[in-house]
Amino acid sequence: MGSIVGSLLVSWFLMSVGLWKLSEKMHWKKRWMAWVPGLRYYGLADSLEMQGDGIGCAVLEILYYMSRIFPSNSDDVRQMIVVTLISLVVLVALYVYRIRIFMRVILLFDLKRRWIILWLLSEWITLFILGIGKYQPKEDISFLGGWEAGMTPAQISGVSDAMNSMTASRTGLSVALRERTVSSLGKKQYLLKDIAMNIPNGSMVLLLGGSGAGKTTFMNAVIGYEKANADVFLNGVNVYKHYNLMKYRIGFVPQKNLIRTHDTVFRTINDAAKLRTPYQVKAEDRNKRVREVMDMLGLTPVASGLVTKMSGGQLRRISIAKELVSDPSLFVLDEPDSGLDGVIARELFTRLREIADRGKIVIVITHTPDRVIDLFDKVIVLAKDSGRVGRLAFYGSPDEAKTFFGRDSMEDIVKCVNRQEEGGEGLADTYIEKYALKVGKTETEEDKEGNEEEVSPDE
Amino acid sequence: MSKKLRYRGRMGQIGLYLGKFMRVFIFQNDWKVLPMGAVIAAVVIFVVGQNLFVTQEGTSTGAFALVCVCIWIGFFNSIQIVCREREIIKHEHRSGLHMSSYIFAHMIFQLIICAAQTGIILLICVVSGVHIPEQGIIFNAGIIDIGVTLLIITYTADLMALMVSCLVHNTTTAMTMMPFLLIFQLVFSGVYFELAGSVMAVTFFTISKWGMISLCSIGQFNSQPMVTLWNTIFKFRNIEYMGRKPLLELIQMTERDGRVQDFLLWSGSYNQNDMYSSDALNVGMTWGIMILLAIVFAIVSIISLESIDKDKR
Repeated sequence: MGSIVGSLLVSWFLMSVGLWKLSEKMHWKKRWMAWVPGLRYYGLADSLEMQGDGIGCAVLEILYYMSRIFPSNSDDVRQMIVVTLISLVVLVALYVYRIRIFMRVILLFDLKRRWIILWLLSEWITLFILGIGKYQPKEDISFLGGWEAGMTPAQISGVSDAMNSMTASRTGLSVALRERTVSSLGKKQYLLKDIAMNIPNGSMVLLLGGSGAGKTTFMNAVIGYEKANADVFLNGVNVYKHYNLMKYRIGFVPQKNLIRTHDTVFRTINDAAKLRTPYQVKAEDRNKRVREVMDMLGLTPVASGLVTKMSGGQLRRISIAKELVSDPSLFVLDEPDSGLDGVIARELFTRLREIADRGKIVIVITHTPDRVIDLFDKVIVLAKDSGRVGRLAFYGSPDEAKTFFGRDSMEDIVKCVNRQEEGGEGLADTYIEKYALKVGKTETEEDKEGNEEEVSPDE
Repeated sequence: MSKKLRYRGRMGQIGLYLGKFMRVFIFQNDWKVLPMGAVIAAVVIFVVGQNLFVTQEGTSTGAFALVCVCIWIGFFNSIQIVCREREIIKHEHRSGLHMSSYIFAHMIFQLIICAAQTGIILLICVVSGVHIPEQGIIFNAGIIDIGVTLLIITYTADLMALMVSCLVHNTTTAMTMMPFLLIFQLVFSGVYFELAGSVMAVTFFTISKWGMISLCSIGQFNSQPMVTLWNTIFKFRNIEYMGRKPLLELIQMTERDGRVQDFLLWSGSYNQNDMYSSDALNVGMTWGIMILLAIVFAIVSIISLESIDKDKR
């Protein structure tokens, strides 16, 4: 009995020493956790921005210790079996969490994967070696957190002032997004901050940014689907305030083709039209509109065909037709060209250009912008600042963008604002500030006049 | 002054989605659920149909098997129906789809499917020579009472699966849940397995319990003969007591007097179950409870889908 207690104490001490040293290397916020069984893995997970896993691990560990401290009455065999089974399940779940956390540690310290075997054989020896050894984490560990939101936006001068100086326009799309946050485990996380712009009607706008820069989040905020702390006006109507009506005037084509495949092309589009067009529109006008959209997108020849039989390009066009059929004023497309070859993608963007030419606003996210950049009027560049918060790095014409960033292509622009761990140049903060200064200078008092009045959505 | 714009309301959307479900049913070959149900019903009726509504034992076993068939068919109809198109619904919700319309359209459509399946099961019963009671309790014909009961069981199970399909986020989880739901229905019906005190309360929420009560009541369970006692006596007929074989003598005497049927009815009278009382109130109550459960499942389905916008990307 004495030897068991002794070995437990030794393993606890060595593991705690190892974790104490590790906590120094990994900049734990609460280093004392290294000494507390049940909280140690939480401390480790917290420093790796895996708070969710850390909490799961802590809860399971406490449950497990409780089941060991208060063993069941050994006389009752059934009770003993149940408690043992529960302990076993808890233990398995606990190790799943721990493995997940330790795998991240391996990645952080750039170790061989075989370390996991050593860790499985003896947890405390492994952590002791890692702690007191010469192993050091990679300098920048932010990439380990994937694309999670930042806690604190970078302090970049002039950005908020520039945003405040912009005012809503009565025509077109006006966006003044102060912040878009989420709460995770009681902590406020920033997804987007300080994004403002006025997009005139008839514009085709390219939305650029690296993975995780917040493009889709921004789009969702603009169309009112995921509300942000923002003022969004479409032709003078507050989108958030009148969302129930405005949602019919906004078309959104998501990355995936969200279509029931076992229905005909015509019925799919016609049903969307029935759902999204007002009662005031006569059936014949609605049918005419369906036919027009199908003609425009080259879907008439396959109208009676089943959606499941369509090619990738045709599916994208059906997705677009479903939204376009309601004649939206704002048309947002998330990677409409994904999975399409160059020729078909070009054809698709030409159609989108035609839609914009009819006085609509078309905003497009694409990862291959250069092949169709001539079709766009404006470019929005979003970038993650050093605090990992999505910010506006540029809004203007494609040519202005090239001059502003000193790059020849849109892909190079994305590269220059992307973080270094993503293979970029990590200049996001520089351009965010530069753009804020540019906006601050160009915004005139003239723009502010006569733009305050809000329009009723029924007008 | 401009006219206020109005968009397709809930009723209009029900019609729209009903048409869509019909087309998907045809194009996606979902009609296969009809022969599949027929095959399952045929197999079960082939095994248990002979004594169904003839003896108490046959009625009890057969009714339970029929209830299980209906629950199985109902579950399979809907278990994947919503979760497989969850992302589509989410997208359509932001385009103005009302979840109540969507679920109501499903309810109408599934009612049609369940009615067709019930018709097939009844047809198989008739063709297989199942002794269906001529006199009904609620309606004049027993076949209508049984048909309505089978329809309500199938439909309630269908809506329970629809609810699960709305609660889970993908088909894998839905299919993982299904065996648990089935086992719950079988074990907690309180018919074949003795349940201790407080656990009996759980049986209230099982379709199998109410379905079983309804079928046994319509099948006149309490007026039927019981064969178990006779069979047991027959099994022990050669046991001797003080140089005689009293059980064999009893059998011979009963057979000689032509009173076997009387004996079976007499033994059945000691095996009556209050729950299976063949009156309109009892059958109506079981139908009512199952319909109530179906309504609850539908409400939960709508409520759970209303929060579909919170699904993570």
